[in-house]
Amino acid sequence: MEEIRIENLTKSFDGFIAVNDVSFTIKTGELFSFLGPSGCGKTTLLRMIAGFETPLTGRIMLGNQDITQLPPYKRQVNTIFQNYSLFPHMTVYENVAFALRIKKVPHAEIDSRVKEMLQLVKMEDQAAKYPNTISGGQKQRVAIARALINKPKVLLLDEPLAALDLKLRQHMLIELMNIHDAVGITFIYVTHDQSEAMSISDRAAVMNHGNIIQSGPPDDIYERPASIFSAYFIGETNLIPAEVTSIEEEYVDLKCNAGDGEFFEIDSTFHFRPEVGQKLTVSLRPEKIAISRTKPRAQEDINVIKGIIEDILYLGSHTQYIVKVGNLKFRVFSQHKRVYFDDKALDWEEPVWLFWHDTDSWLIDEVTPMGMDVGEVNVFERPFQTSRGVKRLLKSE
Amino acid sequence: MKSGKLYKRMNLTIFTLVMVFLYIPIIILIIFSFNDSKIVAGWQGFTVKYYLQLFENQQIKQAFQNTMLIAILSTLFSTILGVLAALGLENKRFTGRKVMNALIYVPLIMPDILMGVSLALMFNFLRVGTGMATVLIAHITFCVSYTTIVVQSRLQGFDYSLVEAAMDLGAKPWLIFWKVKFPLMIPGIIAGALLAFTLSIDDFIITFFTSGRGFDTLPIYVEGAIRRGTITTINALSTLMIGFTLFLVAITKRVRNLLLR
Amino acid sequence: MIHSHHKHKASILELKQSQKRNLQSWLLSAPSLIWLTIFFSIPYLIVIIYSLLLPDIYEVKFQFTLSAYREILSGTYFKPFFLAFRLALMTTLLCLLLGYPVAYLIARSSEKWKNFLLVLIIIPFWTNFIIRIFSWRIFLSSGGVMNEALIALNLVSNPVEIIRTDWAVIIVMVYVYLPYMILPLYSAIEKLDFTLLNAAMDLGANERKAFFKVTLPLSREGIFAGSILVFIPALGAYIIPQLMGNQNALYIGQVITYKIKNIPRNWPVASALSLVMLVIIAVILLTAYSLYQKRQIRKTDEIR
Repeated sequence: MEEIRIENLTKSFDGFIAVNDVSFTIKTGELFSFLGPSGCGKTTLLRMIAGFETPLTGRIMLGNQDITQLPPYKRQVNTIFQNYSLFPHMTVYENVAFALRIKKVPHAEIDSRVKEMLQLVKMEDQAAKYPNTISGGQKQRVAIARALINKPKVLLLDEPLAALDLKLRQHMLIELMNIHDAVGITFIYVTHDQSEAMSISDRAAVMNHGNIIQSGPPDDIYERPASIFSAYFIGETNLIPAEVTSIEEEYVDLKCNAGDGEFFEIDSTFHFRPEVGQKLTVSLRPEKIAISRTKPRAQEDINVIKGIIEDILYLGSHTQYIVKVGNLKFRVFSQHKRVYFDDKALDWEEPVWLFWHDTDSWLIDEVTPMGMDVGEVNVFERPFQTSRGVKRLLKSE
Repeated sequence: MKSGKLYKRMNLTIFTLVMVFLYIPIIILIIFSFNDSKIVAGWQGFTVKYYLQLFENQQIKQAFQNTMLIAILSTLFSTILGVLAALGLENKRFTGRKVMNALIYVPLIMPDILMGVSLALMFNFLRVGTGMATVLIAHITFCVSYTTIVVQSRLQGFDYSLVEAAMDLGAKPWLIFWKVKFPLMIPGIIAGALLAFTLSIDDFIITFFTSGRGFDTLPIYVEGAIRRGTITTINALSTLMIGFTLFLVAITKRVRNLLLR
Repeated sequence: MIHSHHKHKASILELKQSQKRNLQSWLLSAPSLIWLTIFFSIPYLIVIIYSLLLPDIYEVKFQFTLSAYREILSGTYFKPFFLAFRLALMTTLLCLLLGYPVAYLIARSSEKWKNFLLVLIIIPFWTNFIIRIFSWRIFLSSGGVMNEALIALNLVSNPVEIIRTDWAVIIVMVYVYLPYMILPLYSAIEKLDFTLLNAAMDLGANERKAFFKVTLPLSREGIFAGSILVFIPALGAYIIPQLMGNQNALYIGQVITYKIKNIPRNWPVASALSLVMLVIIAVILLTAYSLYQKRQIRKTDEIR
């Protein structure tokens, strides 16, 4: 088995650049995700690997073989399609057997391999049924079996769970991981759903506008976002516009703009060396912030700021508070802590203290986008679409 | 809402009237085919003798054979032409699209008489003797539009990701066509062929202009019999023909159900 | 960054592919294209040629003349055209009046009923054309079932002479062309979003207003298609007037047929009359088409 190497891949449609000079390597047996909003180029990338699109420039290497110009039917790569694309005029069995029948594999071998595959996806008792008589989850299983029977070196999955409901999606995600473990080949997974990508992948790549913004293990992307885009696209975060006032050995002092001429000071550890006076953005995940009506004891490495609760959303597993600090709005997740030290739940309009460890914030070497400077917004809704969505969100809030 | 109910009742009344209107003549025809009377009026008792006479009538036998032969051949040819054209018209950027669309849609609404007259004059101009060949040509000509449109409309709903899936699983283009696309086109092809078949059996006017003396199809024979006034056996013949088309429709429905599962 | 020569390469690739597909389309369309050109288009050229020749008792003399057109301009054939036009108009209107409620009812019934009702409408359509006309002759003739029933019910004392009148022709025309009206109407009404109707009523429109303000305008395309499918073939009606109508006042379809079939023949006049009919149809179709196009443009404007 060989690794997949993508070298300077570019693709355009009628002048629109869908994939822009992308290079990366996926290791053998890895479960790799492409994550990004719709239109970011992830599906085009996948379709080029499958052979449905020919790249304008660049190479796709499977091991030592250049497969860039090979038609799909000559590649040892198979695809799970978004809507499964099962052949409606064939039974489950015939669907799975399709690739082998094309190759004119002997009957007995087809039979044993199809049965083995159907067993793998737990569909052995549905073999005689037609696709329109089975459920969405079952169709998904058949699609997996059909794609795997040819023993591909790479399995491509294009938003495979998009058509399923939430419960089934979670269930199938685990199944997919089990199947990945069982067959041991490379899976390339495309999704716009960050939670899917986070839970399933060994590594993920965040894409936007045809470029890979950041790649790495999911926790790495989550904890150490390289850009504002990956910070907000993966998970939820608070983005605070800040200016470096001084640099110490292990941390920097930051002056944060809360709008209307209000400022507050925090400090943060850093992973790149900023300069004094540099404007940058602090990303602070909502679950890292503690919230309390009593002021915590002062400590060197704890940042403490004061705000007023604007909104409380009870979300079952946790409660989300929107806390106003000046004109900035902080999103704070608090797990099962609706009751506080004095047994009284926090209330709307109540003054509270927010505090976090200075290693929990993350500096991003980008100026906070427009609208941030005046301190209007620092809380992102989970964006729906491309980065245009960010601008829209910034303007509307 | 009172007025709402009123409208509903009005709709239902018109619907019932239309149904009566559509079926009464046919039902009376069927009943009278068993009437033991030379003329159509008045019930004179039950008989099947006209059906028996029918089977002895050589002219009718010949006309039936002609009709079937023309229908089968014109269905076959027009379906092949229609399937090919529909596949060609799938390409949205086809430069001949406008010409093809015009050639396919205009015959559809042209009064039959114009197609009949023009073909008759052309055959005369070319000194082609009228007969089976000319009738067949005429029938293929008016059937092509229908088969093309029916197959084309079914192709519009075709899911192209199935083609990609087949390609992905190792099938080359030609194999994809025969293993995936064609099987899924079959219901549309059957629908188109059925339409062509019924239209061919049904046609009177174009056949009237393009068939010579001595080549009668059933509609031509029936019209002649009506004019001559020998209508007793026609009731029986008509009943059989109605039964035949219903049988045909039932069969194709079943076949389609089998294929479409 | 994408360089210009990349773009060039991409466009050449796309061009080559679309050229290949285009060629494929031409090859696939060729059989039908050639067939319809030879047997649908070219015959009309022959009709034009024949309209400029001299008639003979059996065929034509190949001698150029405009006599056929002169004969037409003399006004002899105005009445058959007028009758055909009136018949087509009446047929279309009656089909619309009867067909709309039926199509509406089918479109609004449940999925299970829909198919059943549609089949009910189509079955007579599958029955042979000539036989359908014949069955009406039996039903309407003076000693026929209808008259017997009317007399038995004491509604009339003498048989009503419907057969061999224009009414008989119209009844059978409506009978034959009704499915052509119902089916396009049905598919137009079926596509309608009925929540719009509820919305209209919610906003205070009563049933009648909601129908005229919402349903009818939105099903206009179906009305349009159905009317064309009925009106144009009806203009050329031959066999229905022939078997049902009054033989003293001929329709244009009958006149053309007689000139072709009956001796002495007059093919040039038949050809010229066919061409006049063709021109009338072309004018109707082009007007309808441009009206439709204008509506489409207005629609897209509204969307913008």
